[in-house]
Amino acid sequence: MEVQKAVITAAGPNQRKLPLQTLIDKEGIEKSFLELLIEEVLAAGINDICVVVQPGDELPYGQVIGDHVHGVTFVHQKKPLGYGHALYSASSFTGRDAFLHLVGDHLYVNRSSESCAKHLVDFAAKHECTVSTVQPTRESLIPNFGVVGGSRMQGVKDVYQVETVIEKPTPTVAEQKLLVPGLRAGHYLCFFGMHVLTPAVMDILGTELKSSNKASLSAALNRIAQSEQYLALEKNDLRYDMGEKYGLLKAQLALALYGKDRDRILNELVEFFALKDE
Amino acid sequence: MSKLIEIILSDKAEIRDQSLDKFCRTASTEELLEECDQLDSFRRKSENLYQKVRALFFLYAIHRFHISMRAEISHEGRIPYDAYEHMLKRRFEQAIDIFTRIQKDKGPNEGISSGLSEAFHRLAFQTLADQVRYSVRHTLGNQWMFRCGHPHDQPLEIRKELLEPDSETGLFPVLNESTPVRMDITHSGWSDIFFLGMDFPEGAKVLNISVNLEIRQKGKSSDPEPPINSYFRVIDQPVLRLISIDLESSVEITRLDEVFDYAKDYLGLLKAAVIASGIIPPGMEGSGMPLSDLLKKMLGPGKGIELVSHVNNIPKGSRLAVSTNLLASLISVCMRASGQTSSLTGSLAEEERRLVAARSILGEWLGGSGGGWQDSGGIWPGIKLIRGVRAGEGDPEYGKSKGRLLPDHTILTREEVGDSTRQKLQDCLVMVHGGMAQDVGPVLEMVTEKYLLRSESEWKARMQAIRFFDDVVEKLKEGDIKSIAAFTQKNFTGPIRTIIPWTTNIYTETLIQKVEKEFGGKFWGFWMMGGMSGGGMGFIFDPSVKQKAQDRLQEILSETKKIFESAIPFAIEPVVYDFSINSQGSVCRMLNKDLAMMPQKYYILMSPALIKREITDLTQGQRLELQNLGQQSKDNEAYGDFVRGLYERMIPRSEQTTEIELTLEQLLDSYGFDPEVHQQIKSDLKSGRIGLSQNRLPVTSTIRDVEPGEISVIAEGDEGIFHRMGLEALKAGKLAIVTLAGGAGSRWTQGAGVVKTIHPFARYSGKHRSFLELHLAKNRSVAKICGREIPHIITTSFLTHDAIQNFLDYSAFFGHAGQTYLSPGRSIGLRLIPTERELRYLWEVLPQQIQDEQEQKVIESLHNALINWAKETGEGEDYIDNLPHQCVHPVGHWYEIPNMMMNGTLEKLLKENPGVEHLMVHNVDTLGANADPAVFGHHLSKGNAMTAEVITRRLDDRGGGLAKVNGRIQIVEGLALPDEKIEFDLSFYNSNTFWLDINKILESFRLDRKELGNPEKVRESVRMMARRMPTYITVKDVKKRWGVGQEDIFPVVQFEKLWGDMTALSNLDSGYLAVPRMRGQQLKEISELDGWLRDGSADYIEKLCDLE
Repeated sequence: MEVQKAVITAAGPNQRKLPLQTLIDKEGIEKSFLELLIEEVLAAGINDICVVVQPGDELPYGQVIGDHVHGVTFVHQKKPLGYGHALYSASSFTGRDAFLHLVGDHLYVNRSSESCAKHLVDFAAKHECTVSTVQPTRESLIPNFGVVGGSRMQGVKDVYQVETVIEKPTPTVAEQKLLVPGLRAGHYLCFFGMHVLTPAVMDILGTELKSSNKASLSAALNRIAQSEQYLALEKNDLRYDMGEKYGLLKAQLALALYGKDRDRILNELVEFFALKDE
Repeated sequence: MSKLIEIILSDKAEIRDQSLDKFCRTASTEELLEECDQLDSFRRKSENLYQKVRALFFLYAIHRFHISMRAEISHEGRIPYDAYEHMLKRRFEQAIDIFTRIQKDKGPNEGISSGLSEAFHRLAFQTLADQVRYSVRHTLGNQWMFRCGHPHDQPLEIRKELLEPDSETGLFPVLNESTPVRMDITHSGWSDIFFLGMDFPEGAKVLNISVNLEIRQKGKSSDPEPPINSYFRVIDQPVLRLISIDLESSVEITRLDEVFDYAKDYLGLLKAAVIASGIIPPGMEGSGMPLSDLLKKMLGPGKGIELVSHVNNIPKGSRLAVSTNLLASLISVCMRASGQTSSLTGSLAEEERRLVAARSILGEWLGGSGGGWQDSGGIWPGIKLIRGVRAGEGDPEYGKSKGRLLPDHTILTREEVGDSTRQKLQDCLVMVHGGMAQDVGPVLEMVTEKYLLRSESEWKARMQAIRFFDDVVEKLKEGDIKSIAAFTQKNFTGPIRTIIPWTTNIYTETLIQKVEKEFGGKFWGFWMMGGMSGGGMGFIFDPSVKQKAQDRLQEILSETKKIFESAIPFAIEPVVYDFSINSQGSVCRMLNKDLAMMPQKYYILMSPALIKREITDLTQGQRLELQNLGQQSKDNEAYGDFVRGLYERMIPRSEQTTEIELTLEQLLDSYGFDPEVHQQIKSDLKSGRIGLSQNRLPVTSTIRDVEPGEISVIAEGDEGIFHRMGLEALKAGKLAIVTLAGGAGSRWTQGAGVVKTIHPFARYSGKHRSFLELHLAKNRSVAKICGREIPHIITTSFLTHDAIQNFLDYSAFFGHAGQTYLSPGRSIGLRLIPTERELRYLWEVLPQQIQDEQEQKVIESLHNALINWAKETGEGEDYIDNLPHQCVHPVGHWYEIPNMMMNGTLEKLLKENPGVEHLMVHNVDTLGANADPAVFGHHLSKGNAMTAEVITRRLDDRGGGLAKVNGRIQIVEGLALPDEKIEFDLSFYNSNTFWLDINKILESFRLDRKELGNPEKVRESVRMMARRMPTYITVKDVKKRWGVGQEDIFPVVQFEKLWGDMTALSNLDSGYLAVPRMRGQQLKEISELDGWLRDGSADYIEKLCDLE
């Protein structure tokens, strides 16, 4: 299975300005947030990228991604019917191909030299199935995420066979249905915001939308877990929700502290901490 | 290998289910001791709960019922104080080590065996309780709550639908959970006790039915609804507001630690629900975090939660698991509100019901209570089979016990039990509450112990009960209610009574007899519900007479209660219910817009305080709600009685109070209350001149144990010279018997105010017999031997006189034809509210039994609440806020002998029986005391004015004993000992049976027989003697009943003088006689009954009695 397409959803009604935010990347170069996401995809060797936007946003977004604009297809989410619907809006772009999917409000900062997206894409290509990146997360935070339950895959590090997916569960439900042997007590595998999805996922989303005008990616992935091979890949890279309070600041700090200006930023932070309140 | 370990470890049922008693009967004492050694090391190593606990119960029973009863072991032996102290602090292992070491060094003896049996028994229950706690905490879905220790860790949020007020009315939506109660039609031998399901899951099964219920009103047709309602809503104040409409109690909690203070008010159940539902996770206890932070995290700023409970008039003790289902209902509504269920309204999914059930067990554990695993059955709909399940991999019990804590529920479909059968069941069954509300805790412990010991007849009875279960299920599927009735009746008269004889009582038996007599073949059978009879019960009739049966049962219950109300504890007037089978289980609905209101009774309770406030002091939510309430009461017909109810609440009628005060005064007047003495005691108590700590002898007193040979000893069946001497005197008519029955026996019914003397507590020769009946029967038995009547005096007090007199009249003196005298009391005291000093001394200085972790927390919280009650009500003031007879107290049994002089009974006795020279005086609960010729002979042979009987000490014989005080042998009350350790150095315990030489006693009072006719002289003599007797201050528990069968227990101060102190008088010669334990032991608490029956004490008494 080759993964040659990618879909970034950036159509959240309250997050329209997020992709336009400017950050300094690891190399010290000023870039828009959307540009950083596209570069993550490109690093995985994928050049065919679709960004799902609200009608009218393609122009400003196009302006902030520089030369990358030529490899990007903008697709409209015509009605604000939620995240599942936004993803499904790219179905004609993805066709019958597997594709990489990134959510447009999260910034991924790799702690190693290898790109997170590349690792995922290579892994999915090898195993030829739907794969989600996940990260062990404390139970107090799980009501913010999609959470997977399952078991470790024998002999492969950081890989899990997914059996259940529940969107934003309470810890009560999580403990009953999403416990994964080998994780620390009170920790669950939460979505990291990056998936390789097969066309079957789009099919389920389409059916759901047709029948109820609603669709949830977690629910679709839960059905995938029941019907075909579905794996989760644990990543210990960093991921920041840009939409939350101080999300942008934290993401910027992470980029700086894992980039070439690390020492300079550390020095400035120390000076900042040392400042005495007059 | 040890034979008993082999029994425990065997996979084969025929070996594993062997009775311990059977083995012990043929084993020698040495063999038993060797088995104990091996069992003790086995249970220390075993990781398996079943093996460990069964070994512990074996050890307990071997010591309690076998080794300590063997003739070849020593019956003397002191209990080491440090072991006792370990027991108080629940350090059972350490206590066992000490007892075992002494047993090894000095050989086995009765005292050490009593300590070992108690320690093993309690360790067994502790181990079981630990396992339940472990299972509850480790049930999936509950674990996270114990890890959540900071408001920022709280992952739950209140659902959005509840967070915003309605745009038109401004009212927040109200979630209303309606929950039925449950009834258990099979009563399969208490098999739903947690431990039993875990030990023998295959035997744990019940047929549990959810029912709607209401109290029947004659002539009114009814359509009963689920009796339990819980309400949840968001409020515009950052507080947790908890309200129990039935208990008329509310609180606004602003601090997290208050939520964990369960016994502070009547809202412990609601607090437990908030915690067990995860809204305030148990891990937050002791975190010191502000409650407002947690509420902000879950609801946003400025908002809080209101949780309200409402039970439709079902009294306590209904045996319908009302409190567990209420807890489950509250947990359920809280879980819905916090997004832990898939749907906000409607029914719960099966897995959600199971979680609610698990959390209800958690909630009960938090609140220090507990029931069986079927109790939350009301959450499920209709008729269901609930069965124990073997623990599998992944269960917290796996590898530890055979069964899981949580059972499986199978709802019977309409194909299995058709609609017509359901209707027939409703048409045939009359459900009642007989009025008794008893603590079933001791019964549940007895059952657990008997099953784990595989006691022969009980185990057989259990197997029979299990077969009945299968039969009942089969007959239910066939729709044959008549056969079901036959099974429930057989179950009650057979297995249930065999396993626990105390589940039935004279009241229930009388009811059944009356119903059988009146309805003949139309009465199909009695149905025992829950732990004990007398409260919730069922009578199954031919449907053609159901209506009449309901009417008549109400009358039969009331008239029968009247006969027994002084003898057995009733909490309420009996009622008959209307019921219907609930086919939905617990269901929730959301009330919106102008329907977003609480029930009317809520407003009657809560709105007076709001109305009294300035409108500007009300929150917007409160203002809008009052406006809506005003509108509803104008427009809505259903609010017709609301205004009247509100008035009654705001201006309560006061006649009742006046009536009570007058009656109390009358009571005090008629029993010779001395206000001057009372004022003196009051002011002494307040100033600290008298009190619990001042009861004690000076610390400079030397108190030693008696030496061997210093007192006489009598062996059982002594037929020698003393016997002959006693028999001669009996034949000559020299003895009369005095039964001291002035005290109510507050420990027997925990201060319920019934008279222990006439409590028909045990069945002999097919009938329930009271203490007094047995004493008279012993009298007759000796009278037969000596060929002449022995006069019998029963001393009474204001508490007991009328009840005893009426009961004797009702029962025609229990058929006793001999001379009987009632000696009415002539002294009375008025109880006082304790001071904080006394309560702290009692609970913090005197040694106290520490309870299991959570229970102890609840007790400490209760103690604080009671200290606050004392401070707020008035320390050292008169206790008058109760029924008159609960406000006064008898003043100790010392007065009961002088009363006989003052009220003319002694004079009358001696006039009618001039030959009487001696009195045998005994407590009503010393059942073995009789006019044994040999004991009488001992008394006569020494020529002393008084002979006191003593017995060798066991662990639970607390309260003084025989000692040498400053060189003189005397009886010392426990209250008087300067240090509690001293008691453990005293080998003998006071059985409170005294033989008195009438002339010599009179002499000590400076009286003679002739002067008994001179009331003035007698009164003066008694007053003089009373001054020489020490006065003890005691704190006793008194029950206050309120609401529908609710009871509170308050500590009150009273004083007493005790007859044993006569032995300290230097001008009175006293002798002491050590008698066999069975003669001298006292039956103080209902929980002792089972051991008393099993160790042969009951048979011993039967042999002393003439019950024909």
